[in-house]
Amino acid sequence: MHRRRGPAAVLATLAAVTLTLAGCGSDSGGGSGGGGGKGDDFKVVAFTSGNQTPIGAWWVKAVTAKAKENGWDLKMIQGDFDFQKMNPQVESAIGQGADVILDGYTDVASIGSIVTAAKDADIPIFAMDSATKASDAFALNITTDQQGIVDGTLKVLGDSIGGLQGKNVMVIGHDPHPGIRLRADLALKDLKAAGATIAGGDVQKVKSPATGRTEALALVSDYLTAHPDGLDAVWVGWDDAALGASQAITEAGAKAKVTGSDATSEAVAQIQAGGAFVATANQPWPEVLDSVIDAVKKFQDNGDLPKKNYEAVDTTIVDAKNASTITPSDKLQ
Amino acid sequence: MSTTIKAPTPAPDETVGRRRPTRGSIGKFLVQGGTTIALIALIVFFFAMRPDVFLTFTNVRNILFQISILAIISGAQTLVMVVGDFDLSLAATAALAGSVAASLMLKGTPTWLAIVIALAVGLAIGLANGLLVAYVGLTAFVATLATMTSVTGTAYLVTSGTTLFDLPSGFNSLGQGRLLNIPGPVYVAIVLGVLLWALLRFTTTGRKWYAIGGNVEVSRLSGVNVSRGRLLAFTAAGLIAAIAGTLLAARLGSASAVQGSDNLLFSVAAVFLGMTVVRSGQANLVGTMVGVGIIGVMSNGLNILGVNSYVQQVVTGLIIIAAVTLSSVRMRAR
Repeated sequence: MHRRRGPAAVLATLAAVTLTLAGCGSDSGGGSGGGGGKGDDFKVVAFTSGNQTPIGAWWVKAVTAKAKENGWDLKMIQGDFDFQKMNPQVESAIGQGADVILDGYTDVASIGSIVTAAKDADIPIFAMDSATKASDAFALNITTDQQGIVDGTLKVLGDSIGGLQGKNVMVIGHDPHPGIRLRADLALKDLKAAGATIAGGDVQKVKSPATGRTEALALVSDYLTAHPDGLDAVWVGWDDAALGASQAITEAGAKAKVTGSDATSEAVAQIQAGGAFVATANQPWPEVLDSVIDAVKKFQDNGDLPKKNYEAVDTTIVDAKNASTITPSDKLQ
Repeated sequence: MSTTIKAPTPAPDETVGRRRPTRGSIGKFLVQGGTTIALIALIVFFFAMRPDVFLTFTNVRNILFQISILAIISGAQTLVMVVGDFDLSLAATAALAGSVAASLMLKGTPTWLAIVIALAVGLAIGLANGLLVAYVGLTAFVATLATMTSVTGTAYLVTSGTTLFDLPSGFNSLGQGRLLNIPGPVYVAIVLGVLLWALLRFTTTGRKWYAIGGNVEVSRLSGVNVSRGRLLAFTAAGLIAAIAGTLLAARLGSASAVQGSDNLLFSVAAVFLGMTVVRSGQANLVGTMVGVGIIGVMSNGLNILGVNSYVQQVVTGLIIIAAVTLSSVRMRAR
């Protein structure tokens, strides 16, 4: 009897929990038909694969608030970095009808089937940080200036170690993220041009963003063990891994300096504390989202698409001088 | 009431080294001691490549520090695999425990209480896994896959998707502090390893777990409470994973929902590697630590040699395949 009732009880409990959670968290609506519309008639499908990152989680909340403010009928799809799950959901939503698609932080290379479905249904995609160069996939994609990030962080790094010429610098990147890949390659090129020696000869690659901190910690610890005092600086493509590199340097008692990118609160706090971590890049995502939403509203009002489909906006380099004035990316409201 | 039984299968550590390879049969010797020889060969290789660095105190300490958390989680995985199951939720449980401890401390909860609650969370997850597997009748794969998913979601809720940091220095010192110049987590890993080894080697509970892992039906007919044994193994594993997660948060001075997620696959790999160390082919603590050693030595050695991390991953997989293949050849030879 117990063995029969057990699974049934579990299923019943699961169903109850699921229904409760669905009641609490639903913000989705249906979709029907393309083209412009007013208020609740304007159907928006929004998706992001990066909802489990701080910035992705902020984007979900911010887009939901913008949709409410503008009276849009929003269907929000959160992909959890699982494209096999997310892409069919978005395609299904497109099939049910939509006027606009919003892409947050999801690389164009991963959404080929969504782009095809959107083109077939003649629905424009407005995106944020979804490609590092112009792409026909998007009516608009606004991202940040990767060269600007590299220029700014390398300048602070150079200043903190008395110039880059002849210095040993490690570059840590993560290939699957197009932004990090591009800026790591740019940093490598610029460091070589500045006369720095690249530790390990090439970009040191972290395999997973989830374990970026521990991977970078091990990479830098092992390098410093093999080459005591052999590192002057570490340039890292994003803050979480940069924090691992910084910890390795501190634990080894080395004097190397570190820069990251993203302006997370932990990175900003370390910069303020004046340790190995000297700079990060703050990317103005709220302003970028405002620009994307303005473009969508123009399309809603008169069907006009942006004249340019790609923009790269400037970033702010955060160092000890301005760290106290920055709103960290994981504290965005 | 405790039941005295003769376990159908002896604890595998007992069988180590009893049967020596036939004199002159180098091939057989290599096959029988493949995994341990692989560890020694790796150490010799990396020492030969970098004699000035690899076996220095600093680097050995570095390796021990890097593998200490994995060793603890692998110990937990060993317990579950001894009873013939496995636990996909261990790394997620560790991350949740670290997140819970960090979240509570940031809200002003005393450090000791936050740690106790975090460990209780791990214990509860292990208990839930055990109940689902042993009493509800779900397979370990399905049950722990489901709990892994829910536990990861819970960790995101606890952390709000962010990294929690600025933890009390007393807490951080648990993971970063040193005694006799050896980091704290190394001691914890060694103490837990010895305790788990003794549990499996010398106690009735350990013998019963091996009996369950050897043959459930025979164990049942021998009077072993199989359900209780599996429940206990999962519960202990959850608690140990929580210890690992809390230590990891202290070691990094921060906690996030996916922190240390690679420990899951590495822990399974370590146990599989360890199963090749003993003749019976069962999960065992000593073997698991050899497996953890292989993973740690290889990662550290390849980093020191400047080998690309993608290549490292390929090599890790190949070594696991080689060790397990050697083991299966040995089993066939028997």
